[in-house]
Amino acid sequence: MTLLGTASFVAVIALWWAVAALHLLPPQYLPSPAAVVSKFYVLLVKYNFIGDIGISIFRVWSAFLLSAAMAIPLGILMSSFPIVNGLSQSMIDFIRYLPVPALVPLTIIWLGIGESSKIALLWMGTFFQLVLLVADDARRVPREYIEIGLTTGAKPRQILRSIVLPAMLPSMVDNLRITLGWCWTYLIIAEIVAADSGIGYVIMSARRYVKTDEVMAGILAIGIIGLATDQAIRWLHRRWFVYLT
Amino acid sequence: MAHFLEIDRITKVFGTTSAGAAAINVIDGISMNIDEGEVVVFLGPSGCGKSTLMRMVGGLETPTTGRIVLEGREVKGPDRQKGMVFQSYSSFPWLKVLDNVRFGLRFRTDIDAAEKDRIARHYLRMVGLGDFEDYWVNRISGGMRQRVAIARTFAAGPDILLMDEPFGALDAQNREFLQLQLRDLCLKERKTVIFVTHDVEEAVFLADRIFVFSARPAKILEEIAIRDLLPAERDIKLRESETFFNLRNRILGLTRTQALRSEQMEVSQ
Repeated sequence: MTLLGTASFVAVIALWWAVAALHLLPPQYLPSPAAVVSKFYVLLVKYNFIGDIGISIFRVWSAFLLSAAMAIPLGILMSSFPIVNGLSQSMIDFIRYLPVPALVPLTIIWLGIGESSKIALLWMGTFFQLVLLVADDARRVPREYIEIGLTTGAKPRQILRSIVLPAMLPSMVDNLRITLGWCWTYLIIAEIVAADSGIGYVIMSARRYVKTDEVMAGILAIGIIGLATDQAIRWLHRRWFVYLT
Repeated sequence: MAHFLEIDRITKVFGTTSAGAAAINVIDGISMNIDEGEVVVFLGPSGCGKSTLMRMVGGLETPTTGRIVLEGREVKGPDRQKGMVFQSYSSFPWLKVLDNVRFGLRFRTDIDAAEKDRIARHYLRMVGLGDFEDYWVNRISGGMRQRVAIARTFAAGPDILLMDEPFGALDAQNREFLQLQLRDLCLKERKTVIFVTHDVEEAVFLADRIFVFSARPAKILEEIAIRDLLPAERDIKLRESETFFNLRNRILGLTRTQALRSEQMEVSQ
């Protein structure tokens, strides 16, 4: 993280702390940062919050990996074969515009309230977006690169492996990172509606008893996980793609 | 007598496949013969179809009518015999300089890795980049990047080299230097080259023969046998000679009216 990034964090926390310390708002509205952090600690040691975090991470990553494993090949196929594109484009566009919360009842009817319904929901929220992003990444590979391959005797498979994939990889990793972020948004929707575990469930049950500090501890957990993953992927991006800098 | 490369009554019409789009006549029946080891320049205004004709020789476009025969075989598609150097995206940013040159040999199965290495290093030295093997191509200058592309294409060992305005994006000093180096390399390697440009001086300096293209639809306005007028070995001083100057002016006169026509055509579309 940059110095400026850290500074903005510190400023927001300082403001929050000041508002809480001066009792400008009742603690049910805005508990102090210290109260939230200590609640976070209590949740961790006494209430198996780690387990909730773990199950949430599991749901997010299963859906994300499933989406990626399907979207990457299909996206590349769409970019190289007009017939695949023609068959799938309008269908994908239709599903892409459906709001994910509207799909919750359907996934529950079809798959019940187990893990599969949550993963299916996250998958629906991300796969259709990701496949179009991947197709675009593949389409943006300069024609010249492909033609260098053709004129050095590369076969289609070799062009895919030695040219298209490395050429599209940096922007694809960026798109995967952004998609992973969406997974978290949809996860909370899934866990708020129907779940008995996970960070979203913790937040929702705390709200029922107006335990605002617990709600905020839950939000804090998501924020920390999101920030950490994002930074980790950015770091990998810089390491893998040193030639871009 | 069979020639090394025969371009036989080629025409190209764009836009006939999709309904509604007006057909554009790009190439209007061009024929020419090119001998082995010749450096041939296609000179003409931008958008005139000279690149399209060169890409057909490379098998990257198909003629609407007519045929292209390279070494007795009709050109059906791209392969390693026909190497390409482009103006932009001419090398891969995810590979270092040496790996970019080695890429020209990557899909050959008849030689081993050590031999590929040796060939790649040889051509890298030939273009004067021996000390830069370990650089990312984004970290070297535009002129150096084009030299990497040239080294890669030579390393691939094609029968014919097709260059699509490879120096078009470089500044004047870099261009002159690369033209000199390329001319030298072509003489040494006795490569057959088709070089596409709209820069008259570049054409005169590099060519054994120049084909001057008209504005679209492309026809050959004139064929100029530079090799009968200038020595095979060329240096910077040649640019200041009277012969060079007169040639340049005569060809400029030819191309000026074509460039104007070409521009009017683009505006009216």
